[in-house]
Amino acid sequence: MAGRQRSNLLAGRAGTKLHSRPQYHGWYVALWLFAPAALFLAVWSSVSPALITNQVLTSEAAQSLPSFGFERGAILSDARSVAEGKQDRVRLPAAAPLVQPYADASHKYAWIGIAAMLALALAGGLYAFTRIKPDFRARTRVERIVMLFLLLASLVAILTTFGIVLSLLFESIRFFRLVSPAELLFGTTWAPQSGAPQPDTFGGIPLFWGTVLIGAIIAMIVAIPIGMMTAVYLTQYAAPAVRRWVKPILEILAGVPTVVYGYFAALTVAPALRNFAVMLGIPNASTESALAAGIVMGVMIIPFVSSMADDSINAVPQAMRDGSLALGATPNETIRQVLIPAALPGVMGGILLAVSRAIGETMIVVMAAGLSANMTANPFASVTTVTAQIVKLLTGDQEFDSAKTLAAFALGLVLFIVTLLLNIAALRIVKKYREAYE
Amino acid sequence: MNRETAPTDWKGTVMQKRIAGRYAAERRFKLFGLGAVLLSGAFLAFLLFVMVGNGARGFTYTHVAVPIDFKSTPLTVDTSRLGDADADQVIANAGLADIVAFAADEALGDGGAELISENAWKEVRSEIKADPELLNGKTVFELPASSAVDIMAKDGARGELGARVDALERDGKLGTGIHWPFFKNADATDPAVAGIWGALKGSVLTIFIAFLIAFPTGVLAALYLEEYAPKNRWTDLIEVSINNLAAVPSIIFGLLALAVFINWFGICQASALVGGLTLALMTMPVIVIASRNAIKSVPPSIRDAALGVGASPVQVVFHHVLPLALPGILTGTIIGMARALGETAPLLLIGMRAFIGDVPGGICSPATVLPMQIFLWSDEVDRGFVEKTSAAIIVLLIVLLSMNAFAIYLRNKFEKRW
Repeated sequence: MAGRQRSNLLAGRAGTKLHSRPQYHGWYVALWLFAPAALFLAVWSSVSPALITNQVLTSEAAQSLPSFGFERGAILSDARSVAEGKQDRVRLPAAAPLVQPYADASHKYAWIGIAAMLALALAGGLYAFTRIKPDFRARTRVERIVMLFLLLASLVAILTTFGIVLSLLFESIRFFRLVSPAELLFGTTWAPQSGAPQPDTFGGIPLFWGTVLIGAIIAMIVAIPIGMMTAVYLTQYAAPAVRRWVKPILEILAGVPTVVYGYFAALTVAPALRNFAVMLGIPNASTESALAAGIVMGVMIIPFVSSMADDSINAVPQAMRDGSLALGATPNETIRQVLIPAALPGVMGGILLAVSRAIGETMIVVMAAGLSANMTANPFASVTTVTAQIVKLLTGDQEFDSAKTLAAFALGLVLFIVTLLLNIAALRIVKKYREAYE
Repeated sequence: MNRETAPTDWKGTVMQKRIAGRYAAERRFKLFGLGAVLLSGAFLAFLLFVMVGNGARGFTYTHVAVPIDFKSTPLTVDTSRLGDADADQVIANAGLADIVAFAADEALGDGGAELISENAWKEVRSEIKADPELLNGKTVFELPASSAVDIMAKDGARGELGARVDALERDGKLGTGIHWPFFKNADATDPAVAGIWGALKGSVLTIFIAFLIAFPTGVLAALYLEEYAPKNRWTDLIEVSINNLAAVPSIIFGLLALAVFINWFGICQASALVGGLTLALMTMPVIVIASRNAIKSVPPSIRDAALGVGASPVQVVFHHVLPLALPGILTGTIIGMARALGETAPLLLIGMRAFIGDVPGGICSPATVLPMQIFLWSDEVDRGFVEKTSAAIIVLLIVLLSMNAFAIYLRNKFEKRW
């Protein structure tokens, strides 16, 4: 505001011409006013708790604290939450004498923080204010800062990726110190909860097999034919009005939350399948079956396959289709012998993406496929998958250092790498194929 | 060279048969296609039908008429304290639960207290709080029936309990009504009083936080990549990681959140804040990709015109490109948010599966979300929870479908062909 007024004043003077419009001078001053202060606030709020704790520890009341470990931390945090007004009274009696020192210390540091922030803001503001001159290029400066913001926003993606890779790697390495990677990748017994007499065994093969059986075999047997035929029908036969209505309706299938599918699979599909299996006389049919989870997952993926197939069929040049029809082929011969072979790479890419999605799917499997690690090809039996085991290992109260919890991160790493490879392969296929026609 | 082949005899029986066969194949193929479409449509219809069939009953409840005479069994409460904050506690200490159970026994015969929900006295409590005059006379309260009776009344009665339910029905003591507690309460162990309000509020808080973080970041990142980014190795890296993030399984984000937000930074576990942060990381790439497409479709002539009259690059973007691309960006954002709203797996890992009987107070207090509530209820053995689960699913689906419908409406309304 002040910056704007000053520049208005300057502009008002005869003979001077501002380089930038007054509001940019205003923005410039405002940025200098707030940015250093906000930066300081961020740093201060992460540093000050430690400073406060230090001061509390030097007070008399802290002399009686237990020297180290969990109890000490609990007492300190108890006192802190009372001092900050989150709790009415202390839960641990030992924390009571610490409340007053805590309140004093945080009061003191809060004042220091506010004072320093105001001083910084004032200094920044004044500095910017003095720089306002007719030929000062405020707009260029402001825009450079805006660009910096934009760049920072896009760096979040890289940070997230690094965060994922690092956190998975870090915890996995800790796991692999306890269990060799070869055992995880090639072991055939998965029994992390086996208890004290037998040691835990982390052989991942049953999980990988279960994942492949559900996500890549059963789900795809459902999703590929239905998805392909749906795409063919909607692109080649259906009237435009039908297509306009049916496509969004089918896309609802992809928008239904997976927990709903899981509930549906567990409540309706799985018991029906079990009855069916019992009727066929199949032994050990269970209500938690690979088939139930796989079928429901396949249905969830239908819109995914069909929209990818739809795109690649549409991308085949019209001339190829017309040529085939002109030679006297019927539409279905054209579709089967011209369109689909031509669209195949794109369809394949879509299927790979669908597989990667299916093997990363969690809730349906957790709710409908069971948690027992079986190496069986019997689709009516209960199997488990990588994602379901990650959930199982990480829920419940467990210390963060046990091999069981760390195993979840190792499984996550495997899952991440596999889906990444599938996605990269799929995108490469799709891209390569697009270029062939354009 | 002797090439005296006869011309194809199109009218001959062999050829006619062949053509008929080809046409039949054509019809079959077309029917297959139609069948595939119908099959997926039928599955959707079946899913919705099962959920609505099960869940519609979760919105209603059975109530039993129980007269309570506060003159004969006085509740010794100081009426002046009923307006206080601790009124709930005061009434509970005065023994209202016993009085209600006693009245039920008296009105419904031996074991009558089993027929009403064990939390039924809380209903009486809130009615007394609303109108202390009730304490001076005899009133007929309509109390929620116990879960078993509720199911009997809806499904048809069987067995000994069934006979009692039938008798009650003949006496006109049973009634049904809309189950308001379902919308007002948080989770509870008793299906008769368990509700979704806690989870719904948790969902709203979580999504709000996710939106606050993901939307600005996503849009700004898209602007940078689409409008300013130089083509070099760094921006390629940004682009590749955004595309990869969009395809990473959601459970991996749960692992990230567990390792980074909870174990490194120690942000309040199981709260809407951590949940929102996790979902924000998940939706950010979706928003970036949608926004880039929207920005890309703004024709370059508009940028050139703005630059031509002396606007700076930042002015071009914020005064012209962004407003024109906004409908597209919003459409993508709503769809991304709808997906985040239905997500369960990553939240499972950051501890949002605990039983929470309170409505969350703030962003840092333990919270649960609607899909998580569905997941937790689906594990309950009590049969009363089956219809509660389906009812919660109906609520979730209605919210999600209306979000998606709104996105489609936006797209149709603002769709422009340049």
